[in-house]
Amino acid sequence: MSFSGFVGRDDAKLALVLNAIDRRCGGVLFLGEKGCGKSTLARRFRRLLPRGVPFVELPLNATEEGLMGGIDLEKTIREGRRCFQPGILSRAHDGFVYIDDIHLLPVEILALTLNVQGRGENLVEKEGLTLRHAAEFQLLASMDPAENFLPPHLLDCFGMAVVWGKITEAAQRAAIVRQAMPDLFPESPEAGRRDRVLAERIGVARSRLAGMKISAGVEDCMAGKCLESRMAGHRGDVFLFYAARAHAALMGKDRVEPADVDAVTPLVLNHRRRQLPPENEPEQSEKREPRPPPENNPKDQKSAAADRQSHPGGDNQGDEKTLPEKRESLPMEAVFESGEPFPLRRFHYRRDRIKRGSSGRKIKSLSRDKRGRYIRSAERGLDGDIAIDATVRAAAPLQRLRGGDGRLVIRPGDIRYKRREKKVSHLAIFVVDGSGSMGAQRRMVATKGAIQSLLLDSYQKRDKVAMIVFRKDRAELVLPPTSSAELASRCLRQMPVGGRTPLSAGLLAAHDLVRRMGRREPGLRFLVALITDGRANHCLGGATPEKEVSKIAGLMRELPSTEFLVVDTENKAGLIRMGLAGRLAAQLAADYCRVEELESDRLISWMQSKKKNESEAESLRR
Amino acid sequence: MIFPFTAIVGQEEMKTGLILNVIDPSIGGLLIMGEKGTAKSTAVRALAELLPELEAVEGCRFQCDPGGKLCGECQEKNRMGGPLPVAHRKMRVVELPLGVTEDRLVGTLDMEHALQKGEKRFEPGLLADANRNFLYVDEVNLLEDHIVDLLLDSAAMGVNTVEREGVSFTHPARFILAGTMNPEEGDLRPQLLDRFGLCAQVVSVREKESRMEILRRKAAFDADAGRMAAAWKKEQTELERRIKEAQTALPSIQPGDDALEKIVKITAALSLDGHRADIVMMKTARALAAFRGKTAVEAGEIRDAAALALGHRMKRLPFEEMGAQAEKMRGLLDGI
Repeated sequence: MSFSGFVGRDDAKLALVLNAIDRRCGGVLFLGEKGCGKSTLARRFRRLLPRGVPFVELPLNATEEGLMGGIDLEKTIREGRRCFQPGILSRAHDGFVYIDDIHLLPVEILALTLNVQGRGENLVEKEGLTLRHAAEFQLLASMDPAENFLPPHLLDCFGMAVVWGKITEAAQRAAIVRQAMPDLFPESPEAGRRDRVLAERIGVARSRLAGMKISAGVEDCMAGKCLESRMAGHRGDVFLFYAARAHAALMGKDRVEPADVDAVTPLVLNHRRRQLPPENEPEQSEKREPRPPPENNPKDQKSAAADRQSHPGGDNQGDEKTLPEKRESLPMEAVFESGEPFPLRRFHYRRDRIKRGSSGRKIKSLSRDKRGRYIRSAERGLDGDIAIDATVRAAAPLQRLRGGDGRLVIRPGDIRYKRREKKVSHLAIFVVDGSGSMGAQRRMVATKGAIQSLLLDSYQKRDKVAMIVFRKDRAELVLPPTSSAELASRCLRQMPVGGRTPLSAGLLAAHDLVRRMGRREPGLRFLVALITDGRANHCLGGATPEKEVSKIAGLMRELPSTEFLVVDTENKAGLIRMGLAGRLAAQLAADYCRVEELESDRLISWMQSKKKNESEAESLRR
Repeated sequence: MIFPFTAIVGQEEMKTGLILNVIDPSIGGLLIMGEKGTAKSTAVRALAELLPELEAVEGCRFQCDPGGKLCGECQEKNRMGGPLPVAHRKMRVVELPLGVTEDRLVGTLDMEHALQKGEKRFEPGLLADANRNFLYVDEVNLLEDHIVDLLLDSAAMGVNTVEREGVSFTHPARFILAGTMNPEEGDLRPQLLDRFGLCAQVVSVREKESRMEILRRKAAFDADAGRMAAAWKKEQTELERRIKEAQTALPSIQPGDDALEKIVKITAALSLDGHRADIVMMKTARALAAFRGKTAVEAGEIRDAAALALGHRMKRLPFEEMGAQAEKMRGLLDGI
């Protein structure tokens, strides 16, 4: 099947072609749902590459040994000296490595792959062997954006990224079906010919690269675009330059022009933007909204306005000019800085751990724990958790010396133990009401404070934190699961609030996140904190918001290894009290507290107590 | 081919931090923190070209210093037959890759020797190679815990002691630890963090003209590394000379009580744990003075040394308080 005959997806094809022209373009990441042809296109791309250019697929079950290389057992035993067996990456030099469903690849394998790619060389120092070989390759990968847990610094490693949007146009969909069934709808020989022409064109373009000149203004234009995207580091500049140069070469030009830069900018820069441009959504939709909930009363508005004034820069909408009356009828959008003062109590989790560790209980409970994924072997480890493969490898070179007559002789010194990965034990998910109702700022500040404390103090960084904000018509995962205080601070620096209250969307997002993370990391436990007044005024489907909330709450209650806390933000001094959050807590069998209590580090102590209970229950079970 | 060190645009703190460690290896290494793509690894690898020559015992597997502490083998030789032969060799950057195994780090039984000669012999690992050299760990925050333990062990003692597979062996392992990390990928264990003498923060250059210059130099290097090396030859030689001169001048720089008082005042006001910060700051200020061709440590050196030596030793606080602390330190530094 041909590359040229692939229906649509011109940007994806352009990205691949540019990478075929110049390997310095840095590879491509495809973001798209399952079954939209990402792997098909990547594999067809092989047809454009000159004979001999490696195209290696990295299987998701690849081990570190398989990836980087390790001991060749058979040869080592036979020859009585350590022999090396090269890994997958050794075959990739000067070519491409393709990873399908990169989000499913174990993080440490991905980190190793990217590390090798970044240095352009593979260096292995293990089991008495040193191996160093060139490994300059481009990564092609596909990912389901719904599973987007790739942290930004890993995304940045890709030279380009292409989003595969939904194709709804009937004729195009029909063409896709046709091309997917070549038995029924044979491809015209014309497509194959076009592939050959394209391959030739790529070859010609490649030969143009060296002599390519740069028009005036191109460098300035590139630097401007990179600065504006506020991306991290300088790799983006470099990728942008090479992509623009390859584009100019493809177009048969002998100099790079600003038009070339423009043509490749979305491919290179979109996934690097760290600060999205301010939302310029039309406010019309907001204006048509019904009056905000009653607790949006003038008194609170006044205090909120006072708060805003005392923290200039915390408000990006410039709404100081807006009259208070108008403000009341309009759920405002505002952004609160993470630097808002919040009386943070230090989280004394660390001391607690050490104490329990010294009593021996924690250590004991760990020593019997053989759960977790076997990632590599070590010479010291848990009794009985022997890594057979590594033990045999260690014994292999000594077999001739030991003269086992064809039987394997293993001495105690050969024994290797399994190192298992169980880094994450808890994921704390904060689900926060970001709507324009009263106290939005307070909720945000309190939640950010709690997230900061959790991340700064969680011992050994076993714990991760995520944050979902629901506002307007949707819920957004504003902070993907992370243990990095740095990343959290960056993601939470700006947090827009305002709009309606799609509580059910928030709940559903939390539900999905628990399910997905549970699949990814079995054994992970979840703490879900819902910070809301329980009111919903926007729903996902056709039912009433209340019905939807209780239905999803019922689903959530069934989630395994998940504990809930509802933090009620309803103004209890207000005239109308609905007590909706209390009802939600009952539906979820959740713990309940009021937002006033939250400020006395209730969130953290709750998390702490839940964890303690669990670890105690666990050690009792043993 | 490696990108020339002197062609790295900006990032002065990182470059100075590396150079100071060459001038005085006892400063205790450098941790470079920053986003991906800010020339962190490039700088460490490029440093190799500028490193001076060392005197070492000829044929020694641990590059023993003839005038310093000797390994067992050299001690033996010394006892048997008088003065040790001396060779000159360039200081190196030894890389410690992620996924390194224990036996390759600390050394192990020399398998082939055991098989052929039937006798046990020690096969040195990376810690032996790293003795008196730079030991470079890329993405040091991703290094496994048990490897970190071993590193900390020998970094603290300056000695590597091996007891395994029936071999017991001890050899000097004084290395300058250089690490790079992207804090977004996770934190470093506090013990390891403190082990780094200095820490430099790198951020992307936000100035347009410099940014264009970075791209120009990178493209020039990619196009023809040899030509790039030739173009920067003069700068490289000049920096190499300055480092050598600073090394020679270092012993003659005697920091006065005045400088010591200033340093202690800063560290006391910041209520830092332990005394490592004070010592490192003093050494750094002194090496800076030598590098700048001064004969005494002045306020400017103390200020710059504080930036490198104190950043990673301040207590970790929530973000807002961190800003306040930085403010406090600025105040303290302005005061000297």
